[in-house]
Amino acid sequence: MTLWFIRGLRRGVVTTRYPARPDPSARFLPTPPAFRPRALTRETAGRLAATCPSGALRLDDLTLVYDVGRCTACGRCAAEAPAAVQSSGEFELAATVRSELIKRIPLRETS
Amino acid sequence: MTAEELQETIARQFGRSLHIRTLDTGSCAVCEQEIRLLAAPHYDLQRLGFFFTPAPRHADLLLVTGPMIRAFEVAARKTYDAMPGPKIVVATGACALGGVYPADPFTHGTVDAVLPVDVWIPGCPPSPLALLQGLGVAVGRLAGKVRDLPFTVDDDPERTRGDS
Amino acid sequence: MTTVEPRVVPGAVTTFQVASPDLEAVVRDLAGLRLADMFAGGSGGSSPRASRAASNGEQTILRLVWANDTQGEAGYVITETPIENGEYPALSDIAPAAFVEECEIYEQFGIRPASGKPLNRIMLPPHADLPTLGRKPRSEPEEQHAPHLVGGQAFEFPFGPVRQAGVESLYYGLVTSGEEVVDLYLFTWHKHRGLEWRLQGMTPHDALFLAERAEGLSAVAMTWALAAAAEAATGIAPAGAAQRTRAVAAELERLYNHAAAMAALCQSTGLSVGQSAAEIALERLLRLNARAFGHRYLFGVVDVGGASRAPDADAIREDLPAAYGEFRRAADALLGTNSFVDRLEATGILTAAQARGLGLVGPVARAAGLTADTRLVPGGPYGKQVTAATATAGDVLARFTVMLAEAAESVRLIGQFLDAGTAAGTTELPRTGGTGLGWAESSRGEALAWIALGDDGRITRARLRPASARNWRGFDDACRSQNVFTDIPIIEASFWLTAAGMAR
Repeated sequence: MTLWFIRGLRRGVVTTRYPARPDPSARFLPTPPAFRPRALTRETAGRLAATCPSGALRLDDLTLVYDVGRCTACGRCAAEAPAAVQSSGEFELAATVRSELIKRIPLRETS
Repeated sequence: MTAEELQETIARQFGRSLHIRTLDTGSCAVCEQEIRLLAAPHYDLQRLGFFFTPAPRHADLLLVTGPMIRAFEVAARKTYDAMPGPKIVVATGACALGGVYPADPFTHGTVDAVLPVDVWIPGCPPSPLALLQGLGVAVGRLAGKVRDLPFTVDDDPERTRGDS
Repeated sequence: MTTVEPRVVPGAVTTFQVASPDLEAVVRDLAGLRLADMFAGGSGGSSPRASRAASNGEQTILRLVWANDTQGEAGYVITETPIENGEYPALSDIAPAAFVEECEIYEQFGIRPASGKPLNRIMLPPHADLPTLGRKPRSEPEEQHAPHLVGGQAFEFPFGPVRQAGVESLYYGLVTSGEEVVDLYLFTWHKHRGLEWRLQGMTPHDALFLAERAEGLSAVAMTWALAAAAEAATGIAPAGAAQRTRAVAAELERLYNHAAAMAALCQSTGLSVGQSAAEIALERLLRLNARAFGHRYLFGVVDVGGASRAPDADAIREDLPAAYGEFRRAADALLGTNSFVDRLEATGILTAAQARGLGLVGPVARAAGLTADTRLVPGGPYGKQVTAATATAGDVLARFTVMLAEAAESVRLIGQFLDAGTAAGTTELPRTGGTGLGWAESSRGEALAWIALGDDGRITRARLRPASARNWRGFDDACRSQNVFTDIPIIEASFWLTAAGMAR
């Protein structure tokens, strides 16, 4: 048991300070996308909704309805339309009201 | 004491010592691995006053993964019913929030079809950091961020109205 | 109808048509090979709803997949047999490995072995009207388990599916005499998501999203197997650099799983310090995965025709030595802790005969002395570079040492693959019909996938067989005569399987 104790002391503390302080490892985590409304034509939004394998994107008239809760951050929408989609960098996504996770993103007026 | 004050007192108590029962309603096993890592040295949820418990009778919070497979519903309800109030239900992972599997003969597709969910934590899987934030929000120690995140990128600086 | 005698061609998959009356004789002839899988499916025609076609009276094809594990000659044979009259020869008397699949085929297609012996419930929950892949069986499975009396005394109790915190839901039927396990049977149908049913009608690219989540802890291996099956069906060969990307991801997956198994072993023996040390190594490996491939569990790496992302080779070269160093130091400390090793030695023994009879794969089989390792099949990116780690004792300690040897080998292989060059690269599959078999070596053993594509390029039948679907059947043999409270968690950790992989 002494060996474990010495080894532990030598390694030091690895515990994160999160949530009191940010954790540097967070920058490599996959995160749900953010969309660029200026690049979201109706056609592009339709393609994105069809590509999403998790049902997180839906086209509703002139709005892209985006359910962050269903998103798996798989990246397929970003691969489909790189100009319109990029990583949000947000991983602190807990919600106390389900509708807080549903984002309605306006499309470009002209398609 | 009013109901609100009682609620706040309870939330404050949970914030200092919370016992968590996990529930797998049909996950792919990766969410469970991230949840196990909450007790690992890098994250150590016990330093925040959170503990895992195998007994639903001792639990304050039910941490649910998976798309609520219909064949599992009885076990899910029994676990929830065995927890004495006050209790909090947290659904975590894209499967539990309605992603990956739609409602069909095999699964409900979302945990809140069967259990009353109080907090939703997205991710596939949600990392231990995301889970810690979610637990903090669940006990009222952390403010949720996601309501005010627009998830839009607006390159044009002349556009003043935010999108949401 | 004369039968061509099936022979294994190294590195290849050869398919033979076998008429139903000849099947029994062929199975006897092939008894020297490992029965890797058995499943039924539609004829693989252009209809996207093959199950509907099957229930319309079209013939159901019974396929058996055989593997030759001999080093240097490894390959696969598939026999295809059209089923007549809803019955086929009883195979599990000759090949015990087939029993679980016989039960599964009955539940999904309503066809059964001619012997009429009782079949168990395996995949589908009782009293549920769920979509099946073929025609539903006329009656429920009879469910007969081994006799439950030892000297007239036995106590049967269910455990689960909701178990201790942080583990998957899994139902054990435990039969004990005092503290000794007499029998143990598992149910995973509460986690059955009907994946093979869902995959019908999808393109292979879309199917990979669900295949990743069949058993998320083997995401790379399962998607590699399914992508390889689709590539075999359409005649696509991924570029070498993309193959090496897949291999790097597969070895990283093996590494973190073995670290997690080590942590679970420590937890099961109550050694918290060891568990913490293993978890530190595990967390560092997962962070390495996130840095190298963008996801802690390597989701979204494999794609049809290759890989959708190339690894950050510099990040791996930078972080892997330290992460593996943590792993190795924890392992060495554990092997030097007698109280820990004593719990592992002679616990959960599986003999080579048991492992062979049940067709087990992975470290569980290799620790019993078998040499099956899918990486040895010629033609993949591994070439001849892999040394499969084996042991002979077949106990938990042997499985642990095999995992440690594999982890060292994985680190070496990752370095070699990075030096040879890795790249992303995918291919759009041609829209042709066809069938194909794919495989990859997950941390738990051989992951198999078989695919039948219609002329529109969409899946008419997909078969997913993670290693867990095979290895759980060895669990009750390993647990028999062991202590129900103290030994079962240790044995479970040494198998390191998932309920999700069995249930799909």
